[in-house]
Amino acid sequence: MAVEPKATTEEVKMDLFEDDDEFEEFEINEDWVEKEEVKEVGQQWEDDWDDDDVNDDFSRQLRKELESSTDNK
Amino acid sequence: MAYVSMGEAHRRITEFLNRFCDAVSLQDSSTLCRLLSFSSNSASHLSLADALNVFQDASSLIRQSDKFSEYGEILTHLFRSLQSYRVGNLVEAYLAFEKFANAFVQEFRNWESAWALEALYVVCYEVRILAEKADKELTSNGKSPEKLKAAGSLLMKVFGVLAGKGPKRVGALYVTCQLFKTYFKLGTVNLCRSVIRSIETARIFDFEEFPKRDKVTYMYYTGRLEVFNENFPAADTKLSYALQYCNPKKQRNIRMILKYLIPVKLSIGIIPKDELLQKYNLHEYINIVQALRKGDLRLLRHALQEHEDRFLRSGVYLVLEKLELQVYQRLMKKIYIIQKLSDPARAHQLKLEVIAKALRWLEIDMDLDEVECIMTILIYKNLVKGYLAHKSKVVVLSKQDPFPKLNGKPVGS
Repeated sequence: MAVEPKATTEEVKMDLFEDDDEFEEFEINEDWVEKEEVKEVGQQWEDDWDDDDVNDDFSRQLRKELESSTDNK
Repeated sequence: MAYVSMGEAHRRITEFLNRFCDAVSLQDSSTLCRLLSFSSNSASHLSLADALNVFQDASSLIRQSDKFSEYGEILTHLFRSLQSYRVGNLVEAYLAFEKFANAFVQEFRNWESAWALEALYVVCYEVRILAEKADKELTSNGKSPEKLKAAGSLLMKVFGVLAGKGPKRVGALYVTCQLFKTYFKLGTVNLCRSVIRSIETARIFDFEEFPKRDKVTYMYYTGRLEVFNENFPAADTKLSYALQYCNPKKQRNIRMILKYLIPVKLSIGIIPKDELLQKYNLHEYINIVQALRKGDLRLLRHALQEHEDRFLRSGVYLVLEKLELQVYQRLMKKIYIIQKLSDPARAHQLKLEVIAKALRWLEIDMDLDEVECIMTILIYKNLVKGYLAHKSKVVVLSKQDPFPKLNGKPVGS
């Protein structure tokens, strides 16, 4: 992500010093044990969410729209 | 600044000099770390700085003693840096600290064992932090910032010192991570390439030997780079590693990992549960996930627009925008299922007209040619299995598995 040269000092001030997501330093010698909590974080993903359920609001409204008899363009 | 008598100033300076030299001769790394952590702004640093500013000629104290003058260059620059730091001359503080760091690294090279590695880490950290402060001072005075870039060069030099066969080599990953932070801040992430190449291909390095905290940080940054390069399987591996091994108490770091991991997971067809998004305050992804679940293109567009700035800043905007194809797939599947409910025999035929109607309902205006184009892309990318009957303006879906799941692979791979 190269920084483009900016015209004014103001913009330089704004853009040149940012990485919003700088990782926080661990303490020197900081060590830890992965607890149950961490394993939990890893299990908060779904890969089988793509079901055939059309009973939600969105699907019902979509069905109504498709079955309605408005003129097509 | 507090009032300090000459006598008291002399006492404080001598005390520091003794502590420093004793730490070195006793190979007491943790004391040395404490002595060098300027940015901690500890009371002892502040009181030492006040003493230096009163005494004014600490170099004479150093010269007068054999014990102290052995590390004369190191100590003189260190003191000058602390003095400048205390009175808010951050550019001067950085310049002196840079000299100190160079002198310290020279000494470090001569120490055979790796006893002072942690002190070296502190020096690297302080170099970077001071450089950032110096650059802020420069820009606020209308000058061009250049100290962080200089710090980067210094850190590369330190990396070179550690990249050898001996026990000091386990320090290389820490320095690498300081370099990453430097380059990311400067926006010169292309410079990460050469250190990464060294870490990953040089035979002297065994990745498993490095401390866990450095491995986690390393995987976070290299994972982010993989996201920028849209290598999603690699990004998934690295960011997931960082997530798995990160200290669970570091909630902000976990949140940052997730911020980049979530778009990656979405791109390979895996979605985060809402509890995860809530727990780590990642609300910007809630509607994106919802749009994908439902096939709601309008919601996707709204969500991208609503958080456009945030996504652009973190560099994930394009990744999220590309989810559109997956949302199209989901929408087509919904239309197919709905058609099955009323007319199962002909459900596998999707009229372009019907698709256009659904899109119009979602505030997307397309003529039939454009719809045909989208469907062609979906088929080409294997998101839809079937073919286009152009004359009859129908998509004929395969009877088997017409909407293949991504199964952990990115679209079109």
